[in-house]
Amino acid sequence: MSTIAHPAPRRLASFALASVPGNERVALDQVAASVATLNVAPDRLNRLKTAVAEATMNAIEHGNGGRPDLAVDIEVLQSGADVVVTITDHGGRDDEGWSEDQAEIPDLARKLEGQQDPRGWGLFLIRHMVDALDVTTDGEYRTVRLTIQIGPAPQGPVSGTCVPGAP
Amino acid sequence: MEKPATRLDIRQADGRTAVIDIRGDVTAASESALMSAYEEAAQQGARRLVLNFSGLEYMNSGGIGMLVTMLVRANRHNRQLAAFGLSEHYREIFELTRLDEAITIYDDEQSALAGPAGQGRAS
Repeated sequence: MSTIAHPAPRRLASFALASVPGNERVALDQVAASVATLNVAPDRLNRLKTAVAEATMNAIEHGNGGRPDLAVDIEVLQSGADVVVTITDHGGRDDEGWSEDQAEIPDLARKLEGQQDPRGWGLFLIRHMVDALDVTTDGEYRTVRLTIQIGPAPQGPVSGTCVPGAP
Repeated sequence: MEKPATRLDIRQADGRTAVIDIRGDVTAASESALMSAYEEAAQQGARRLVLNFSGLEYMNSGGIGMLVTMLVRANRHNRQLAAFGLSEHYREIFELTRLDEAITIYDDEQSALAGPAGQGRAS
């Protein structure tokens, strides 16, 4: 039996932003800067930036109600072949903030017919931009966790007995 | 003086087609500028509006919503929207949202102005 040990996640950045419209641009710029040395493919980097901007916008507008005195906390981690970005706001109560389970799936045809609001594309974009999306709440805070794969998983050190190819 | 986030210029390509050159950001805050540009082009007699995204720096879901709003208005007035100059990333977003089915995407201005006869990029 062999065990592959994965390296511990490495924090690339940690910062807080005031819940002010436009700060999602600061978030995406800082996240992009934090992964600059990882040689992320341009298309994946653009997807990550879009997802971060959208999730930060939601945190600012819905989680924190647009209150400048409430911060959005953002952390960027490298975990093996993944980049993980967490965006935390104060929308952790069940009856507050934005709930991804209740969000209406945007349909352009219905929007053009006036059956849906023209807006409402944020969560849709996030889901299509990342490899994994998780949302957790603890009663006070909501954390959105975005995961994007940046390359093949590195082979960590093998511990225990390894018998490759044995019948 | 700080430059506005969304900068739009309208120019007539011919009697029926107007080009709206977009520079900067397209977000929810762009609504007033986008709708004013639409109205100005319409008042100039344009039946077809070509959106030039070559100078686009950033677009978010709010901007997508504004384009949908513009589409609703164009459909109501039987006007067509087309676009060129989108980066690969924003082409992908147009495809995900199916905006590319309502706004014909072209590779460049020349083909965009040639119109349906010039054929948009095959999806």
